[in-house]
Amino acid sequence: MPKFLHTADWQMGRAFTRFETEDGAALVEARFEAIETLAQLANEHQCDAVLVAGDVFDAQTVSDRTIRRVFNATKAFAGPWVMLPGNHDAALAESVWTRAQRLGAVPENVHLALQAGVIDLEPQRLSILCAPLTQRHTYGDLTEPFTGYESPEGFLRIGLAHGSVQGLLPDEIDSTNPIAPERAEASRLDYLALGDWHGTKQIDERTWYSGTPEPERFRNNEAGNALIVEVPEAGATPTVTRIPTGRYQWHQWRETLTVQSDLDQLLERLNALPESAVVDLRLEGSITLAGEETLLKALSVAEARFRSLRCERSGLQLAPTDEDIAALKADGYVGEVVESLRERQQEGAQDDAARDALAILAGLLREREQEASQ
Amino acid sequence: MKLQRMRIEQLRQFRKPFVLDNLQPGLNLIHGPNESGKSTLVRAVRAAFFERYRSTAVDDLRPWGDSAAAPTVELDFEHEGRSWHLTKSFLQRKRCDLKVGTETYSEDDAEEKLAELLGYQYPKRGASKAEHWGIPGLLWVEQGTGQDIEQAIEHAGDHLKSALNSMVGEVASSGGDDLIETVRSQRDTLLTGKGSARGEYLQLKNDRAQYETEIEGLKDRVLKYQEQVDRLSKLTQDYDQAEAERPWEDAQRQLEQARARYQQVERLEQQQAQERATLGQLQQNHRLLQQNKEHLEGLSRQLEGRKAELDRAERDLATAQAQTPMIAGRLQEARTAYEQAEKQRKLAGLLQTRERLEQDVRRLEQQKQVLTNNLTKAKDYHQQLEQARQQARDNRIDSAAVKNLKAAANQLNEETIRSRTIATRLNWQLEASASLTLNNEQLTGQGEQQLLEESTLVIPGVGTLGITPGGEELASTRRKLKSLEDSFAEQLKTLGVASVEQAEDRLSAFESAGRAHKHAEDLLKSVAPAGIEQLVSEQSEAESELEKAKSQLQATPEPDQKENVPALEEAEAAFVQAGTALDKAESDEREHQAKRSALKQARDNAKTEWQRLADEEKSPERQQQLQQITTDLANLEKQQAELQASLERREREIREARPDFLKQDIERYQNAVNQLRQTQENRGRELRDIKVRLEAWGAEGLEEQLNEKEAEYDQCNRRYQELHRRAQALDLLLNLLTEKRQALTRRLQAPLQKHLNHYLSVLFPEASLEVDEQLRPGTFSRGSELGQITELSFGAREQMGLISRLAYADLLREAGRPTLVILDDTLVHSDSDRLEDMKRILFDAASRHQILLFTCHPGNWSDLGVPPIDLQSLKVHAVAQA
Repeated sequence: MPKFLHTADWQMGRAFTRFETEDGAALVEARFEAIETLAQLANEHQCDAVLVAGDVFDAQTVSDRTIRRVFNATKAFAGPWVMLPGNHDAALAESVWTRAQRLGAVPENVHLALQAGVIDLEPQRLSILCAPLTQRHTYGDLTEPFTGYESPEGFLRIGLAHGSVQGLLPDEIDSTNPIAPERAEASRLDYLALGDWHGTKQIDERTWYSGTPEPERFRNNEAGNALIVEVPEAGATPTVTRIPTGRYQWHQWRETLTVQSDLDQLLERLNALPESAVVDLRLEGSITLAGEETLLKALSVAEARFRSLRCERSGLQLAPTDEDIAALKADGYVGEVVESLRERQQEGAQDDAARDALAILAGLLREREQEASQ
Repeated sequence: MKLQRMRIEQLRQFRKPFVLDNLQPGLNLIHGPNESGKSTLVRAVRAAFFERYRSTAVDDLRPWGDSAAAPTVELDFEHEGRSWHLTKSFLQRKRCDLKVGTETYSEDDAEEKLAELLGYQYPKRGASKAEHWGIPGLLWVEQGTGQDIEQAIEHAGDHLKSALNSMVGEVASSGGDDLIETVRSQRDTLLTGKGSARGEYLQLKNDRAQYETEIEGLKDRVLKYQEQVDRLSKLTQDYDQAEAERPWEDAQRQLEQARARYQQVERLEQQQAQERATLGQLQQNHRLLQQNKEHLEGLSRQLEGRKAELDRAERDLATAQAQTPMIAGRLQEARTAYEQAEKQRKLAGLLQTRERLEQDVRRLEQQKQVLTNNLTKAKDYHQQLEQARQQARDNRIDSAAVKNLKAAANQLNEETIRSRTIATRLNWQLEASASLTLNNEQLTGQGEQQLLEESTLVIPGVGTLGITPGGEELASTRRKLKSLEDSFAEQLKTLGVASVEQAEDRLSAFESAGRAHKHAEDLLKSVAPAGIEQLVSEQSEAESELEKAKSQLQATPEPDQKENVPALEEAEAAFVQAGTALDKAESDEREHQAKRSALKQARDNAKTEWQRLADEEKSPERQQQLQQITTDLANLEKQQAELQASLERREREIREARPDFLKQDIERYQNAVNQLRQTQENRGRELRDIKVRLEAWGAEGLEEQLNEKEAEYDQCNRRYQELHRRAQALDLLLNLLTEKRQALTRRLQAPLQKHLNHYLSVLFPEASLEVDEQLRPGTFSRGSELGQITELSFGAREQMGLISRLAYADLLREAGRPTLVILDDTLVHSDSDRLEDMKRILFDAASRHQILLFTCHPGNWSDLGVPPIDLQSLKVHAVAQA
């Protein structure tokens, strides 16, 4: 029974901004590991082939090292790989693919679908109908010719394309690289393997976006999977199994704190996250000095625990209570300064300087208190 | 704090132990002359507190030349009900012990305890300096520094503030100043004094800009790379298409076709040229034959011509010969006319000569007549002239002499008359017969005589009477008369005249002769200007000319009066005319002769020519030739016509093929082939270039680099933003803290001002001295005077310094801090009035503080109301005790 692995949007060569160098490097590394994971999965599930539906590379000009590493990572699976150029790595006159070929980095078992047409995998009895992108942007449906492609008798007709299925995906109304929603049926495909949408998404019973195997952004749900597709025979409905492959889960939370319990809840949720989380927090509202202390402590712990934690607190007002101030023992003119900073925060919308100044002052006073109490 | 006892040993001049005790809680006046050890005591107190016991920078404490000394200071004092005992040894034995009540401290602990009590600090190394002295620096005044209050306050700053904290109760912040310092130091790691970035913050800012530049550069290169890829794509397409279509081969085919067609045309043109050459030869032949034919046919026509010419020559000759007699006659006539004219001309000439000669004779006769008349007149005039000359010669007399003579006669006359008047008059009337003789002169009748001289009158008969004229003058008159008479007579004689009248007559005759002479001379000149001889010669000349003319006239033949002789001019003209006519006639005649002989020659020639042609024309060869040529010509003309037709046909053919366009086509196709091939080659070359370039650029992994660079930038920027915010926050915090603290300081000003006013009112009743924000005495005003304290005189500054210090001491005391005032020879620059006031102030202050006043002028302070301590005597005492 033919079985193959459907994946896409590896985006190799992408560097991560907004992270600490070390975290960014780890995230990049995780993407290479994801390829290895895919190869392993293909072996485990005894797949006949691995189909990559575009955007293997994030850009045309990635380093030679990246190119070599990508192909090296496929080694574990010795069966055929079919890689389709997507919009990031379109098969232009000179492309990352031509470079890979020149470098001699492409192994025998990896088929590069640099031209539209059919790649027949004879032993596997699979006909792969490829619609590679050969320009940076295409405004016509490249899968249109699928209907006209002939495949040997008894071979499965598997479409491989990269783009947006028209009318189904949000936020992609006038996107480029359109694909007709009824393509699978219209072109008598047993399965249509799609790439470009980074989350795993089913379009119809024969049409799927596999999503990226390793998440690389906070948006897009359902990222970090690969699909194992099983088609009993030509024309039969495929069985699609979703296998998680992602190492890191990306979480982006926007929270507004108003009362103490808000903070408690937030910290609880944070604690519940696994260590492999990549977290982006943005906090708004207001917080007491005691609350802030708790928050900072919790964040400090979380930073150490998670792959990456970033917390944007500039929208979070620091509102010391009378108890806070009493606890700081800010007497005399220092007390006046605290009061003045508190007022400034309330007056000016988002007076970052006042907020930070207050935080610094509170920190210093707290340190002093701690020294004194020792 | 009250100092009670002080003991020093092995310290400068105090090699032996020296004790100063019984110090009073109030004012203590310690005096002694210079070098008695006052300053050493002050130094000892300072060293006990300020210098680290283990300091190596206190060599000045060592007695001179004693390297084994261990300078030691012992102090006993009381503070807040507890007694403090401090022992400090330096150099050879470094120790510090402090006993406070029952507690003991030693070494560093002891020193820290003291510093905390008094409010100062120790130097990190070396000797203690003013900036370490803190509050004691303010209250312990060294000799000659009393006026330098500002420095002292600055150095005391922090100690003062902390000491005064209790004064301001809740407004002061415990540790607020430390906080400010911490914030300041944290801020200063990020910002400069002026608020611009520094350190890491600055570095990040610069890095950020650097990243931006790099990213911009990379983006640019990525864009270029993409452009090249697009170009490659386009080129590859074009190249492949061109390779498939091979457009240059089409062009090549067309080129070859065009060439073939052109070659065809060229062949046609060659043929055309050949035929044209043939036609040319035929035409040439035709022309020659035609000429021959014309030549042959021309003979008969020539013969006729010759005949006509011959006839014409004959006719001309006959005409000329017919003219000959007429011309000869005309010549003869001309000759005759010429001779006649010549004769007439000669005659006319002769006639004219005679007329001229006759005229000459007439003229000369007339001239001769005139000359003769003139000569006669001249002779006459000459005679008159001679007569006049003679008359003049005869009557020559000098007119002047005559004049003199007349004058002399007059004078004599007058004198004579006069003498008569005086003379004795003798009248007589004699009887007719009677006579008398007077002076031998016979007198008769009647008469009278004047007698001037003695006279004798002889009366005949009677006798002689002598008469002697009387009078004196008579004699002189008589003499004078005599002289005059003599002169007159002389003159008459000279002139040769007898009387005046005669003289005058002669003069008149002489003058008239002169005039006659002149007149005759003028007349003579008018007729013979050059003289009579000239006239004579002229006359004879005229005469001879006349003779000559007459003889010429005689010699000239007289023409026949009957002949009509024209005038000479006329005759001359007629003669010239006749000459010309003759010349003409002669030349006509010569010409005619020449013409006739020429015509005769022409006639002969024409005759010969005609004869020759007439012979030739009649020959049979000529007839045959003519026949042959006519046949040949007909043949030639036929050939020509055929050729012409062929040429025209081919010409059209060539024209229709458009060889010029064919030529252009060849060039065009050739260019097209070249250009198409070249374009393709260029494409190939560019393709290779771009591929090579892209390979190189691709290997750099530009976009991956860009990605990484952007990540780095993001990180740098994040860090920068953090620091930026932190810097802003710290700056804000520092400003706020400083601001609030200054507000607090201002609250401390009031009490200090109060104490200051307390003392100032003693010194300057109407003056005021304001304390600034740094708690320093600042603006001083007295009446209309307004200025800084530093602008006052030295003495006044010293006084102000002292009262400020005392005010501080009061403030410190209120805050429960120890106060000990030490004054080393202070106020030496104050006048006695001020000193008096200052004594009151010191006395007042001493009720609150212990004051040690060292001086070498005990007299100045004798009215301070305290027993002075005499150092000198103490030392003697100490020695005695020892």
